[in-house]
Amino acid sequence: MTRANTRPSDGIGRAAPYLLVLPSILFAFWIIGYPIYDMANMSLHAVNRFGKTGAFNDFANYSRLFSHKLFLDCLLRTLVWTVCVVGGTVLLSVPIALILNERFYGRTLARIIIMLPWAVSLTMTGIVWRWSFNGQFGMVNATLSSFGLQDTPVEWLATATTAFPILIAIGILVSIPFTVTVILGGLSSLQADIFEAAKIDGASGWQRFRHLTLPLIRPFLNIVLVLNFIYVFNSFPIIWVMTQGDPANSTDILVTWLYKLAFRYGELGVASALSIVMFLILLALTIVYAVLAMRNERRQA
Amino acid sequence: MENRTRKSILMWLLLSPLVVVILFPFAVMVSTAVKPRAEVLAYPPRWLPSEIRLQNFVDMWEATRLGPAVMNSLLVSVAATLLCLAIAIPAAYASSRMQFTGLKLYRQFLLVTQMLSPIVLVLGIFRLMASLGMVDKLPALVLAYVAFNLAFSVWMLQAYFQTIPKELEEAAKLDGASTLQRMRLIFLPLALPAIGITAVFVFIYCWNEFVLAMTLLRSPESNTLTIQTFSLVGGRYQVDWDHVMAATLVASVPVAVIFALLQRALVSGLTVGAVK
Amino acid sequence: MYQIKKRRVLGLLAGAAVLLGATTASRAETLNVVVAYYSAATQGVFEGMAKDFMEKNPGNEVKIEVIQWDNLQQRLTTDIAGGTTPDIAMIGTRWLVDYVKNDIAEPMELTPEFKAGFIEAFLSPSTFDGKLYGLPVAASARAMYYNKDLLAKAGVNEPPKNWDGVVDTARKIKALGSDAYGFALQGKEIETDAYWYYSLWTHGGELLTDGKSGVSSPAAVKALTLYKSMIDEGLTEPDPTGLNRQDIERLFKQGRIGMILTGPWLRGQIKEEAPTLNYAIAPIPEGEAKATYGVTDTLMVFKSSSKKELAMKFLTETAFSPKWRIEFSTKEGFLPVMKEEAAAPIFADDPQLRAFTDMLPYARFAPLITNWEQMVDVVIAALQKVYIGQAEPEPALKDAAAQIDGLIQD
Repeated sequence: MTRANTRPSDGIGRAAPYLLVLPSILFAFWIIGYPIYDMANMSLHAVNRFGKTGAFNDFANYSRLFSHKLFLDCLLRTLVWTVCVVGGTVLLSVPIALILNERFYGRTLARIIIMLPWAVSLTMTGIVWRWSFNGQFGMVNATLSSFGLQDTPVEWLATATTAFPILIAIGILVSIPFTVTVILGGLSSLQADIFEAAKIDGASGWQRFRHLTLPLIRPFLNIVLVLNFIYVFNSFPIIWVMTQGDPANSTDILVTWLYKLAFRYGELGVASALSIVMFLILLALTIVYAVLAMRNERRQA
Repeated sequence: MENRTRKSILMWLLLSPLVVVILFPFAVMVSTAVKPRAEVLAYPPRWLPSEIRLQNFVDMWEATRLGPAVMNSLLVSVAATLLCLAIAIPAAYASSRMQFTGLKLYRQFLLVTQMLSPIVLVLGIFRLMASLGMVDKLPALVLAYVAFNLAFSVWMLQAYFQTIPKELEEAAKLDGASTLQRMRLIFLPLALPAIGITAVFVFIYCWNEFVLAMTLLRSPESNTLTIQTFSLVGGRYQVDWDHVMAATLVASVPVAVIFALLQRALVSGLTVGAVK
Repeated sequence: MYQIKKRRVLGLLAGAAVLLGATTASRAETLNVVVAYYSAATQGVFEGMAKDFMEKNPGNEVKIEVIQWDNLQQRLTTDIAGGTTPDIAMIGTRWLVDYVKNDIAEPMELTPEFKAGFIEAFLSPSTFDGKLYGLPVAASARAMYYNKDLLAKAGVNEPPKNWDGVVDTARKIKALGSDAYGFALQGKEIETDAYWYYSLWTHGGELLTDGKSGVSSPAAVKALTLYKSMIDEGLTEPDPTGLNRQDIERLFKQGRIGMILTGPWLRGQIKEEAPTLNYAIAPIPEGEAKATYGVTDTLMVFKSSSKKELAMKFLTETAFSPKWRIEFSTKEGFLPVMKEEAAAPIFADDPQLRAFTDMLPYARFAPLITNWEQMVDVVIAALQKVYIGQAEPEPALKDAAAQIDGLIQD
């Protein structure tokens, strides 16, 4: 059909990239597109607790959501949680990846150890830590007091003042393997000769990091920042298993509250509205990040 | 040589706080998994058991039907990883090697698909699979896992692909090799480490995934490992902690083995750079 | 080399496809039963029932699926939304309100003789408009376990009958100066609210009065002030909001709790895990009234099931036969729900069990209203604020009551 006006290789050449990306687009539309539509639909209608939609209800789900007294609390806490976990993870992961990229005795072992938290599902990690932080029976208190660091046992998860920082720390711990591996992969795909040259030119360690390593691993840092942000923002198992948002909703983030709304209280309409709101927040933040990153790139170019 | 020893000590010292925190839960697991049941709940808690009871593992294996669950998890994870790569590699190749209108839009589209937590989408995914008659079928899980890993895989692969120099392929193009030939003979071998690493990421996601498996699977025969392990802790009135910890340890072994393999991929990633 | 690898991958895929296909094959007459996980014994008991039923009714298959409590509700919600419900499911009895309202549960037609076999109190929570929608399993009432040795050491030989006695006894245990605590107080997760209802009801309070929340009544404030003062005085374990039901039960098993309010399942666990513990069981302490919390779970049949007859047959002939009732209740440590079961020597000759069954006439059940789970969480949040000292009992309960009134109106 097209042979008449264009040479075949040209036609294929131009269509090739689209053919190559097409399966992934179709797939995403199929498996993720429908559920998104389903949810958006529920958020705009009256829904019973079993997902049967009724009439359009004038954004009642949204107004109920925004007027709920827990909404703002959970939103703020979600932002604190996400920023702390992602920030902590990346700040720790870059030096760790740099260390693991050096040659030293036992490097393979060190790499395997750093990745170990990844070998256990988040749910089980949460369970083990919860069991360890138990004030009466947990090994954390037992270990601290056997080193004389503690007189009376601390009930770590009983108040948000201790529970929330612990949750964040565990959030960081379980995000490190993924992050370190991506950065390490980035580091190991860099060519060693550039660094040798820089060394010969007399660049200091910090200079080499700042002007060579960092720009070169930037694409990988972008990946881990954005993906971690999305993952952590939506991260459910750790908080759910360890505190279920207790005490008095003081460790609830949006996604744990969402789960309660949807499956404990049967408020599927409000839960769907919350999902859409969460989606929009993430979208907005990612766009802001993308714009900032692009401006940064342009400035450096 | 002496220098390297000093460096090694320094490196380990720097890593040590993290290493302690990482190994702590594993120590708890091992310690609990080999304790006689009476000591699991003893007060005050102690690290060392009075005897090392490996029988716990045998009991656990029989009581919890972990074997078939391991098989299911392996099947699903391997199938999802392969399918995901089959879709992601061409897409990543296109978006790292070819300029085309809509490339940016495509990347953003993929990212957007990742912005909703599976928990949020559970109901919709379940309805979709139910309408296809795929509830309680492992392929349903495979499809869902692929969908949730596509964006990451494409993005990751594309970032690695960009570090592979184009010159070789361009030379081959001049020699008259077709796109497919170039991709297969020159590009893929160089990209193998990157593909390997991405495969590992996808595999681990599938191996550890809980929410989707919980929603889409029904009968005990099709349960995956995470569900089977978690089922041990879900008791409302009583939990056999020694079994739970033993099962968790067993479930983490295959992943630990993969880490060892991943080391090689990372190291060979280095050598690819050196050969160039 | 490359070729070989490719073939291996293809082979693997093909193998995977075959295996995936194999796991999904199913027979025509299959009864799907979803039950909740109580303990490691649950699966075995129900599979025993299934096997028994299949032997008596050849050609039919019964498939048992055991789900964790934490996930059961999500699981059934998605099932109902997707139209893939099982034939029979076990649910928390109070969920039945929503199931009946949304026309999901099938009313049960039972012979009067079969119905008469049940202990009356346990049938009423699953009856709506005179129709029965589910059969009770896992029934429990609550009572007070006390550690005889610990009380004796503190100079108390009779278990306290009322709350003043509880406070007094707890003070004496505290005075011993050991690492034991007088009174256990549950502060988080499932049934944290129930632990306070014991105090609420025995102080003469009600959860609902005239369609409004009763959790801010003077009796309710008194009930909560009592718990709070016990925490402050060090009569309970420290920081109760860190301990759920399993945690306080574990403390009791370790001999570190004087008195704890809980259900009959703890007896079985003590027998297994702490056989030397010298304890006994007494009624829930009284205030102005006697009360306990009665809880049942329910086996119900879905309206959407195409095998309702077979499902009812499984329930009436096997699951609720005396043999399997006794097996279930003894293995899981629950109260008998059928008269014939209660008359069996293993229950009738058990003096400890009488402590629970004696309380049945005073048992209160959770009110059958929608939004109940949300109200529970509002109450728990108020309790926790008071327990950790973020709020005073009265304002916290007033706030909770206002929220609950809003929920009732919805």
